[in-house]
Amino acid sequence: MRIIRKNLKLFLLLIAILFSTLSFAQLKTITGKVTDTDSGEPLPGVTIVVKGTTNGTITNFDGEYSIGVEAGQTLGFSFIGYTSQEITAEGRDVINVQLVQSVENLEEIVVIGYGTVKKDDATGSVTAIRADDFNKGNITSPQDLLVGKGAGVVITTAGGAPGSGATIRIRGGSSLNASNDPLIIIDGIPIDNNDVSGSSNFLSFVNPNDIESFNILKDASATAIYGSRASNGVIIINTKKGKAGRPLQISYDVKTSVSTPIEFIDVYSGDEIRQIAHSKPELYAPETYDLLWNANTDWQDEIFRTSVSQDHALSVSGTVKNIPYRASVGYTNQNGILKNTSMERLTGSLSVNPVMLDGSLRVNLNVKGMTTDNNFGDTGAIGSAIEMDPTKPVYDDSPVAAKSGGYFQWQNYGASLGVPNPVQRALEADNKSDVNRVVANAQFDYSIPFLEGLRANLNLATDYTKSDGHNNYPTTTPTNVTNPYWGKINNYDSKNTNNLLEFYLNYKTDIESLKSTLDVTAGYSWQHFEREGSSYTEGYSDDEHPYQKPQSSAYITENYLVSFFGRMNYTLADKYLATFTLRDDGSSHFIGDNKWGLFPSAALAWKIKNENFLKNVDFISSLKLRLGWGITGQQDIGNDYPAQATYIASSEGSWYPIDGGFMPTLRPEAYDPDIKWEETTTQNIGLDFGFVDNRVTGSVDLYKRKTKDLLNEVTVPTGSNFSNTLLTNVGTLENKGIEVSLEWRAVAKQDMSLNLGFNLSYNDNEITKLNLNNDPDYMVLYGDAFTGQKQVTMIGHPAYSFFVNQQVYYPNGMPIEGMYVDLSGQGGTVNGDNNDKYIYHNPVADVLMGFSASFRYKNLDVSAFMRASIGNYVYNQVAASASYDQMYQIGYWKNMPKYLDGTQFVKRQFTSDYFVNNASFLKLDNFSVGYTFNNAEGKMIPRINFTVQNVFTITDYEGLDPEVPGGIDNNFYPRPRTFMLGIGFSY
Amino acid sequence: MNKLRSIFIIFISMLVLSACVDDLDVTPKDPDVIMAGNLNDNPEYMEQVLGKIYASFIIAGQGDNGGADISASDENFFTTMRALWNLQEITTDEAICGWGDVGIADLNTQTWSPGNPFLTALYQRLGLSITYANDFIALTKDNSDEDVIRYNAEARFLRALAYYWFMDLFGNPPFTTEEDGVGKFYPEQIQRADLFNYVVGELTAIEPLLAEPGTFYPQADKGAAWMLLARIYLNAEIYTGTAHWEDCKTYCDKVINSGAYELASDYRQNFSADNDYRSNKEMIFAWEQDGVNTQGYVGTTFIIESCSDPTYIKAEDYHGLTSNTNWNGNRARKEFMNILVDTMATYGGPINMTDVEFSQAKDKRVFMKMKKTIDIPSPSSSGDYGIGVYKFTARNHDGSQAANYNPAYACTDFPVFRLADAYLMRAEALYNMGESGSAVADINVIRERAYGNTDGNITAGELTSQFILDERGREFYYEAQRRTDLVRFGKFTSGDYLWQWKGGVSGGTQISDHFNLFPIPGDEVSANNNIQQNPGY
Repeated sequence: MRIIRKNLKLFLLLIAILFSTLSFAQLKTITGKVTDTDSGEPLPGVTIVVKGTTNGTITNFDGEYSIGVEAGQTLGFSFIGYTSQEITAEGRDVINVQLVQSVENLEEIVVIGYGTVKKDDATGSVTAIRADDFNKGNITSPQDLLVGKGAGVVITTAGGAPGSGATIRIRGGSSLNASNDPLIIIDGIPIDNNDVSGSSNFLSFVNPNDIESFNILKDASATAIYGSRASNGVIIINTKKGKAGRPLQISYDVKTSVSTPIEFIDVYSGDEIRQIAHSKPELYAPETYDLLWNANTDWQDEIFRTSVSQDHALSVSGTVKNIPYRASVGYTNQNGILKNTSMERLTGSLSVNPVMLDGSLRVNLNVKGMTTDNNFGDTGAIGSAIEMDPTKPVYDDSPVAAKSGGYFQWQNYGASLGVPNPVQRALEADNKSDVNRVVANAQFDYSIPFLEGLRANLNLATDYTKSDGHNNYPTTTPTNVTNPYWGKINNYDSKNTNNLLEFYLNYKTDIESLKSTLDVTAGYSWQHFEREGSSYTEGYSDDEHPYQKPQSSAYITENYLVSFFGRMNYTLADKYLATFTLRDDGSSHFIGDNKWGLFPSAALAWKIKNENFLKNVDFISSLKLRLGWGITGQQDIGNDYPAQATYIASSEGSWYPIDGGFMPTLRPEAYDPDIKWEETTTQNIGLDFGFVDNRVTGSVDLYKRKTKDLLNEVTVPTGSNFSNTLLTNVGTLENKGIEVSLEWRAVAKQDMSLNLGFNLSYNDNEITKLNLNNDPDYMVLYGDAFTGQKQVTMIGHPAYSFFVNQQVYYPNGMPIEGMYVDLSGQGGTVNGDNNDKYIYHNPVADVLMGFSASFRYKNLDVSAFMRASIGNYVYNQVAASASYDQMYQIGYWKNMPKYLDGTQFVKRQFTSDYFVNNASFLKLDNFSVGYTFNNAEGKMIPRINFTVQNVFTITDYEGLDPEVPGGIDNNFYPRPRTFMLGIGFSY
Repeated sequence: MNKLRSIFIIFISMLVLSACVDDLDVTPKDPDVIMAGNLNDNPEYMEQVLGKIYASFIIAGQGDNGGADISASDENFFTTMRALWNLQEITTDEAICGWGDVGIADLNTQTWSPGNPFLTALYQRLGLSITYANDFIALTKDNSDEDVIRYNAEARFLRALAYYWFMDLFGNPPFTTEEDGVGKFYPEQIQRADLFNYVVGELTAIEPLLAEPGTFYPQADKGAAWMLLARIYLNAEIYTGTAHWEDCKTYCDKVINSGAYELASDYRQNFSADNDYRSNKEMIFAWEQDGVNTQGYVGTTFIIESCSDPTYIKAEDYHGLTSNTNWNGNRARKEFMNILVDTMATYGGPINMTDVEFSQAKDKRVFMKMKKTIDIPSPSSSGDYGIGVYKFTARNHDGSQAANYNPAYACTDFPVFRLADAYLMRAEALYNMGESGSAVADINVIRERAYGNTDGNITAGELTSQFILDERGREFYYEAQRRTDLVRFGKFTSGDYLWQWKGGVSGGTQISDHFNLFPIPGDEVSANNNIQQNPGY
């Protein structure tokens, strides 16, 4: 209610306007029936308005209506998907109307910020993707529906864990340190990308079955109305709604799927390890042989499984007393291929869309709820299974092993640096969370009576998420999993609350004398985000296990966004279109004059087809040129108070004694009082076209995006601030790219259709300025002390490029251990030093392509979706971790991936370019066959569907999967191959 | 009517909007976050801000609440004392590290460059401690509270200590004081000799403001300031070109004559969990480490664990640490073994491989053990080769368990200044002043404690410059002093003294003199145009 209270005055104002304008004028009642021209069927839910008044009604279930009219007034009949008609009453008592189905069907409406527009009239780069085009299969999160579907939209799933999230990048991302996530708006609510702990996917509250469409806004002219949050594009998700006048419709879908691991990392068997050990006495002393046992355990096989998952979705939609509604319930039980991982989710949604006050007030109420039980297990078992000594059994019946729950475990004074038993690790983890979320909004759209074409729109929304979780291990678990405790009890919880108030006025008018249409919007938006949480960890203590101090931490943080925005669309002669937007954004992240940022945009479109010289060219069915320019901002920088001087207290264990007693210390935090918005300027040229009766349609976009005042965590001069690095506005970054999308309706007959789709995107990312000093050699390195720094961001190169030493090879092609080209020319030892490293490719693909095909013959349908990625490189850390000295270390044997056969490295060589591999790929993501049974007797329409996901991958990359989030392949949860059988009924 | 309504709408809108715009003025809600303006609200805040300056030298940061102080690829690796230890020890005959982490090999073989992460981290962390101190000094400079005046002087001591390490390792650091603010500016570089004068001036100025020796251990007091002055004067010739032996002696006298300190009867107590001043009057200044309150894989925990291994020196057996143990990295090179254990005198010939712990050595400072072989086959060989060192321990000196025992973190404080150093510094000063007789007396104080009797005593005729260097090695090995001593005696880069893998060559080789100073980190040179790189890099 805080949102209502805060904005009470505005709310009251709106109510006042509503009631002050109700008018009561009624003379004569007209009745009639509205039918479809072709079928003659009655049309329920048709809106009938007395033009120039606020009087209106809708037809009932039988298409009948009645309305009061004054003499000489005109009635307007409109219905979605039909051409509107206007009829003058002229003293008639009965007016029956036949509506003609509109040629411009639903598909051509695209959703833009604070409104919709006919695709034909869109001036920006907007991609609309509807349910028919979604990816198919065992899909539990909205992002998965979209993978590969839109040119310029790159979605990389985090891996194969149940319910896991995905990163979304539109046109390459515009930031380095600030967020690169697009703004996601669901039914008018901008969603906070900051997830709660215990949740692996911030979008999982939306059941994919409920989604009607995605609209992806890519260029600045489309996104700038969202100002400060629009630099990385905007994705507008609309869920399915009840439709006026539609009869009761029930549908139920059930899916069962079976997932299996595709492949394991090739590691040595127990026999092979024993053989290697005995053949290399210079590395492994004979006394270490005793530590090799007799087993031949395939640890990966032990921790993975074939899993079965289920998904049920039930929805009901219809109309109660002229109020359309839709309600749905979804249940998902997804089991991961790693043992002891699963996700169980219940989602519910309800939308009610009444039209009141004779059609002038449209209300849209949406509530979505989710409750999810996650079982994350211990994904660390995946890496352990590669490293665990295969000569050991899973279980051990020795008395020592009794203390470790009967599992084999390396013994060393109750502590060890040996690899933990992967099976024990996977199964003993009790790592679960409950996440509950409610997202609700009420949108009121009121056509203000005293000026035709003027609407007021108020949107109130709240988004509340709460999570509770724990990550416990028993005392039998190896201590290096629970260090510094014996066993571990970890509890955490978090809570995010976001509230939104948005209000805008829209005025649309035709100026016939100028052959012009004007559409003006002006509004205000207020949003508040609050996040809090805590975590507490302790160990078990008893006679054998000494007490360890618990660790606890808590946080609470908030931020506000306040904005004023406006847009003007101007159309001249249905040929020339212009859009201007302006947003004035205020963010609580900044202080003083930096608090506000102004973000303008302009776009022009020319419908060339409507020019006389093309009107009669039949081959071209549509042709439109778009030019756009705009500035967007970025303020999502991870810290809510980056400009304020603060001190932070240390947690227990990081105390220091002053004048006798231990106490927390207070650290001054690094801050930049001058920090401000990142600004991205985008230029876009686009061409939309359709040929041969729109059988072939498509668009081409060229763009250039330049981000200035790029927020970057840079090294500051020593002595100038309270850390060695500071997040500040220092850089510039450029993205350039091309996007192409094509659709070909190759066959379109009554009984048979074939649609083929193709999209391609090319993006080039380059850093053009990076530090305060404008030093061209300045580099930001990524990596850790143990596995080396092997990625860099540097001027003149793509962000996160690989930064490695150039390997020298033997004539037979094997890498020479530790020998690199002396690139600096300084001579001496060429080791992991940065002077001798060079930039060698980067993890981002140059070109991405998506191919879709759907074929229908009578009741049978077949569809397939393929994706290609060209020029993405992956650092194979699994291979780089393999060396002979790691096989036996400090008292423990370890297994190695068989990549070692190809390197024969004694020591690991993490900085060699040998491990940076071209990971271009072609994937058949899904293949689906479906059959819809004839509507024989009742109204029930059963449909069955069989889908295979992750069918095959063609790649030269030697790791398990060339599609690696972030480009460092380091034992991530493998994506399974899934076979799914679905049955659906609709009534 | 319509006009009225319009006015009403505009009026209401303005009210609403101005209220919402005010929402943009936020302050942190987290009770662990204190606004700079509120530091005077609670007297404890002053102690806690001071505590941070101390803690910044030894642990990584604020723990779960705020994370590490600097951004680095591993928070524990790149703490001040751990990085300092690496730069002072594994660059010398005393230690070599078997780990493959970036930067270690360069230090092992004296081939580092400005990109080395250890020297970068030490440089940034010393600068950070200075910036914390500047902030606190500015904050408290007009405060008349008796305790706060002392805290202010302690902060000035800590700043001087950081500048001393800067001066010793890097020469010419960026120079800031409490007069400089915080933000994005480019500090000026100060020259080594000017910094020498500044630090000496600061220490003499705060001397009367600090507590009497031994009052508030582990906080800095007069004893700590005297020791730091003595140490700076000891090395004055390196820093300024002019020796200050008499000044060195003056401050050593103050320490020894204060009556607050005495040598521990058991040398090992200085490296045990009960090495603090309360139990051990030899400890003048140290960084607190505590298994419960001041934790981290840092300082002495790092020394203990990196010197332990699962085969020869098990931390479980030798040191009492049982969790996440035996990192098997550091051990000594054979040339240093020869300094610590005179094998001719002890065994009458080459080393006796049956006496792996040198139990026949009469010098009770020998905490060494032979490993797989005495020779280290390559600079990157594992810690199983060479001479193991187990001088530091997490147990009390009598072998009992520490008071705040933790299986992962030692309670042993990291010694910075102890009384033995006052004797050996004075001996070196006296020797250089031509007073060998007095010098020998000081040396024999240390030798008698080491041998437990006078068997190890020397005569004035036996006292040489080499003997003083060697004696410092025997007394202070693994206490992060070796590089400074070798530089002062001209042995660090020269061909006079070679050790295995010095310069990357098996038998050791002379290296260029510019390695006597570390380079300014490449990160700093590119971030601040005012900073000139040291010669040779």
